[in-house]
Amino acid sequence: MEELKLTTTRRKILIGAGALAAAAAAAPILAACQPTPKTGGSGKVTVMTDPNEFSDDDRKTLENATKLKIEVVKSDLTTLYAMFAAGNPPDVFRVQAAGLPQYISRKMVKNLQPYFAKSTLLKPDDLAPANNFYKWDGKQIGKGDLYGMVKDWSPDFTLFAYTKAFDDAGVKVPSDTTALTYDELRTLANKVNKKAGGKRVYWGFVHSNNDQWIDRTAMNMLAEKNQNLYSDDFSKLVISGNPEATKVIRYLYDLAADGVNETPIDPSPNWMGADFNEGQIAILQYGYWFSAMAESDKTKGKTVMLPAPTWAGVRRDPTMTATGWVISSQTKDPDAAWAVFEQYMGGKPAQDRAKSGWGVPGLKSLYPQMPQQTDFQKQVQKVLQGELSKSDFILQFNPYIGEETFSTSWKKNLEPALKGTISFDKFVQNIESEVNTAIADGKRIIGG
Amino acid sequence: MAGATHVLPRVMPRPALLRRRAVRRAATFYLLVSPWLLGFVLLSAVPLAGALLMSLTNYDGLNLDYVAFVGVDNYARAFSDPEAQHALLRTLLLMVLVVPTGLVLQLLLALMVDQPIRLSNLFRTIFYLPYVIPVVAGAWVWKIFVDPSGGLVNALVGAVVPDVNIRWLVEYPTLVLAVFTIWGAAGGGMVIFLAGLQGIPAEYREAAMIDGASPAQVTRFITLPLLTPVIFFNLVTGIITTLQVLVQPMLLSPGILGLSPGTVPPLDNYLYPVHAYIEIFVKQLFGYGAALLWLLFAVVLGLTLVLFGTSRRWVHYGVEA
Amino acid sequence: MTRAAVRYVPVSFFAVLFALPIFWVLVTSLKRQSEFGSSLFPTQLEWPNYQLAVVLADFMHFALNSLVLSGSYATIVVIVSALVGYGFARHRAPGRNQLFGLVLALLIVPTFVQFVPQFVLFARLGLTNSYWPWILWALGGSPFAIFLFRQFFATFPRELDDAAEVDGAGPLRIFLQIYLPNAGPAIAASAIFMFLWVWGDYLYPALLLHQDNTTLAVRMANAYVDPHGNPLQTVTMAGVVLYVMPLILFFAFAQRFIVRGIVTTGLKG
Repeated sequence: MEELKLTTTRRKILIGAGALAAAAAAAPILAACQPTPKTGGSGKVTVMTDPNEFSDDDRKTLENATKLKIEVVKSDLTTLYAMFAAGNPPDVFRVQAAGLPQYISRKMVKNLQPYFAKSTLLKPDDLAPANNFYKWDGKQIGKGDLYGMVKDWSPDFTLFAYTKAFDDAGVKVPSDTTALTYDELRTLANKVNKKAGGKRVYWGFVHSNNDQWIDRTAMNMLAEKNQNLYSDDFSKLVISGNPEATKVIRYLYDLAADGVNETPIDPSPNWMGADFNEGQIAILQYGYWFSAMAESDKTKGKTVMLPAPTWAGVRRDPTMTATGWVISSQTKDPDAAWAVFEQYMGGKPAQDRAKSGWGVPGLKSLYPQMPQQTDFQKQVQKVLQGELSKSDFILQFNPYIGEETFSTSWKKNLEPALKGTISFDKFVQNIESEVNTAIADGKRIIGG
Repeated sequence: MAGATHVLPRVMPRPALLRRRAVRRAATFYLLVSPWLLGFVLLSAVPLAGALLMSLTNYDGLNLDYVAFVGVDNYARAFSDPEAQHALLRTLLLMVLVVPTGLVLQLLLALMVDQPIRLSNLFRTIFYLPYVIPVVAGAWVWKIFVDPSGGLVNALVGAVVPDVNIRWLVEYPTLVLAVFTIWGAAGGGMVIFLAGLQGIPAEYREAAMIDGASPAQVTRFITLPLLTPVIFFNLVTGIITTLQVLVQPMLLSPGILGLSPGTVPPLDNYLYPVHAYIEIFVKQLFGYGAALLWLLFAVVLGLTLVLFGTSRRWVHYGVEA
Repeated sequence: MTRAAVRYVPVSFFAVLFALPIFWVLVTSLKRQSEFGSSLFPTQLEWPNYQLAVVLADFMHFALNSLVLSGSYATIVVIVSALVGYGFARHRAPGRNQLFGLVLALLIVPTFVQFVPQFVLFARLGLTNSYWPWILWALGGSPFAIFLFRQFFATFPRELDDAAEVDGAGPLRIFLQIYLPNAGPAIAASAIFMFLWVWGDYLYPALLLHQDNTTLAVRMANAYVDPHGNPLQTVTMAGVVLYVMPLILFFAFAQRFIVRGIVTTGLKG
């Protein structure tokens, strides 16, 4: 058996490391490598989307309607960026509104205004208000040219109540005609919140799906006071310097500290919709689309939809996801991409989606197709009609940061804050400093 | 080399001929190692040079339109980044928790299965198994084992203290991670110790026994000193691997298993490579992330060199087996 | 009696400790989902979990991906590494020792440091979402395997080469006819480790491959869920068992060869 001498190895490693450094210094610039050009006009359109929102039947329908071949890639942010880095992004991809300002600023998506102007299926007058999230005037969203469209949407701040939890607590289920204030909601949540023997029975009020969109919840509350989390030019996150923002953040923090919401120190292994179906959530904040699956074996006949709560008496119930599609700026065949886009948004798949009740259609002309058969569906429609009139708003997202920058920082700092390792003030400061660093990075990258 | 002289031509070759042979031999060598050499240049040297350049820019992995040279900004930033400091401390803590305990355990296991016992192959297999279990499966094993409601750990604890519901991954994430890491690495280290033990001539130990040494004394004064090169090897590799732990804490995050851009492990398990990963693949800060990784390399290199420095004092290369 | 106790009690204790978590996966995989969290042991063995694990995740599709990727990587990398290891062990040339030092030096460069620029390189060459990165890695050989083969071949008596050279055999023929056929333990050990690395690796396929052609490791990282998105822990554990079982069976069988392979190749350093 041969034994390696480690003493000689050390010298070799040192020599090796030196050679490594020399080789490294002499080598050419990696970043200068050109991406391989994609062959255009292949009659194939790549769509990156969530398979749950794009069935195989949808694909076949679209292939028949457009005479194009469609390749589906599962939606994932890391993959999307990797494909862009490879110079080979999907032709069409799924986005949520919060990411859009950044995609547009980084010139990743195509201006679709000329296509909408010519389309017979997707007429500008017919577009639901949620599509305003896809307008960009060069500075901010809400007006200007269209860059995409929602596949469907919902006023996202409505509540779903599980009546059994209220019965157990001896508390009356709130009315579905008057909106609660957020303060009333917190009081109520603490009453119906329940643990037994260290185990969770009901979460009082669950929102933002493990805080994934906590910033959007906060932004909509703040908007009732005509304020935003960010400075007007989006160059800074301002919480501690803005008493109104501090109040909203404090409120959301208190909900977490109360233990009525799912938090990093009291997490649920499930997403919040599944927990509701399991009968473990008393009040859940979710959009209309959730009504399509809110009734499980456990919750059937015990679920009601409630109007969105209000923070300052000015009710707003826009969508906060505005999930939809955009077309890549680098697509080799924009006409083919548009053909698929147009059919998905206005053709048979759009009608099928409207009938299923999984969201309010992106076209107003499809509204009447939403289901209204069961008692629950009727109750939901009644509440929804009231909410639609409050839904013509948008949330101004920060173009310099990714859609999960704020929530990532929130989640990371919430854990030590709830454990008592850091104070609320420190919690806010940490988020501000982390997000502001990210904003500065974003500004440096895209200029401005 | 003694054998080689026999095949030399009887006539002593002239210097030119010798040189030609040397050149041919060298050519043969370089031809044989050329795949590695080429791979090294294209897949290591060039990318590493790229990483070095990248770390001096604001590259976002996406667009070359905005790339700008930022000097050593990224490195300066790493030194003032509280998250990077926290993450480095957590990584070093994990190393302190895992490496010494792991080393002792590996040696212990090797000594135990090196004895003439029945079923020794079964024992070896059991200890080796976690080492070959893929990281994803290992993460599931521990997630389920410590699951608050469906796990065995809480069931056992509950048998002693009723009505407990410890959420291990939330309350003691680093403990679980450390145990997972030790459990996963033990088999690999054990086998290498075993190889070392089997390389120690039996006469050494037998002679000591005849002289009246107890088994403990034999281990202490004969086996251990002869094993120091192996201990050293396992120590170095243990440190290098632990400093790089990245996927485990992400997979062990409470909640649904699976990496998505939003997956942040609990703060206690927010290790240094995790921080780099998030800066690069979530925040798209390739430049800054590259700088963070070069600093990690510096730490690894530094620790390795320090260890080699101390090795003179305690590693004995006495026996050529 | 006490001697026996000293020999068997500690080792058994540790064996139980090591096996318990794995045992628990098996137990969980055989529970009904409704028993998860409510009943310690299954009331009856729920074998259909395994069927579900195969059907729900398109298990065979991803298993085939893993097998193809691991298999081709291991095959190529072992051949290349053996050749390079032979070069390092048997052929003198200026710079040889420095180059071998480089091989070893690469072992301490954190893999993630190397991967990030490689990722950018592969992305810009349009090689993401293909198996090319693994093929290229394999063609360059693995420092670990090169080291192993170099150590192994260094123990071969030189007279073998000399005899062959007299017969007029070139270095490649010597390698193919003498070294490779006698490298059984080193080939086995390195092939196993290389196969295992790809089979178990999570990060690279997660970052380089898309949904369809990714490996079992990535698929297994996500929990199995019911149509409402509720996690099915029991089925997930069945999937994990299926993912790991081939490796366990193989290792139970090959354990003694691996130990011997490591001893004879001087891997201990």
